[in-house]
Amino acid sequence: MGMALAYTIGLLLFAIGALGVLVRKNAIVMFLCIELMLNGANVILMGISKFKGIVEAQVVVLFIMAIAAAEAAIGMAIITAFYRRRGGVEVDKAELMRW
Amino acid sequence: MSGLVELGIMAILGLLMVLTGLALVFLKNPVHAAIAFLVNLCITAVMYLAVMSAPFVAIVQVIVYMGAVLVFVLFVIMLVNLGKGESTERFFTPRLLFSLAVVLIFVIQMLTLRGFSGEIAPIARYIHAKDIADVLFSKYVLPFELVSVLIFAAAVGAVALAKKRM
Repeated sequence: MGMALAYTIGLLLFAIGALGVLVRKNAIVMFLCIELMLNGANVILMGISKFKGIVEAQVVVLFIMAIAAAEAAIGMAIITAFYRRRGGVEVDKAELMRW
Repeated sequence: MSGLVELGIMAILGLLMVLTGLALVFLKNPVHAAIAFLVNLCITAVMYLAVMSAPFVAIVQVIVYMGAVLVFVLFVIMLVNLGKGESTERFFTPRLLFSLAVVLIFVIQMLTLRGFSGEIAPIARYIHAKDIADVLFSKYVLPFELVSVLIFAAAVGAVALAKKRM
């Protein structure tokens, strides 16, 4: 029961994050939505650790957090470079390869 | 009995998390969206502490996500100086319908995919840093070291990307 609840919460968070990535135009908010998806995966892993008794899941959660931090550094650098070139962070300003 | 209380707390916290997630997606101002995400991360940390009995991961969540990543994102929002009113964001377009369809199909797939075979008794004790370290520094030493290389590469890459001329 608890595992199913954790699974549902994590799945909903992941789905909301995916919806945000698909709907939003602002690159920073899209980045935050990607972080929300990672957070949903973390919730499911913590549920596994608690309700299945697997400590390894928490180790994986720590790895995901480290990778999310590295991704934040790279993503923010890309967004500032994009802003400097295009004068805005809306992703529809990148139209070089648009059909 | 305590299991039922735990489930109730978890359901309430999960509801709050979903609401703040929706606020993150549908608030127009990026600063408000970032604050909504901050609240979401805070509630997640509370859930780790209260329900999942994992104080160490809860504290790491607060330090890494709320302390580092969110502050970083807010700094970048401040740097790129998003003006008021010039946003071209419009939510209620055919794109929203399409995205909702995609996400709904994903959710239905994942809900039908799951199979929780058997009930295993949840662990009752707290998982402290020592328990995690026992696993992390014995079985996962190589991935741990590789993560340090990854973070170093990310730092160098961020500096190279943010340099003046590209």
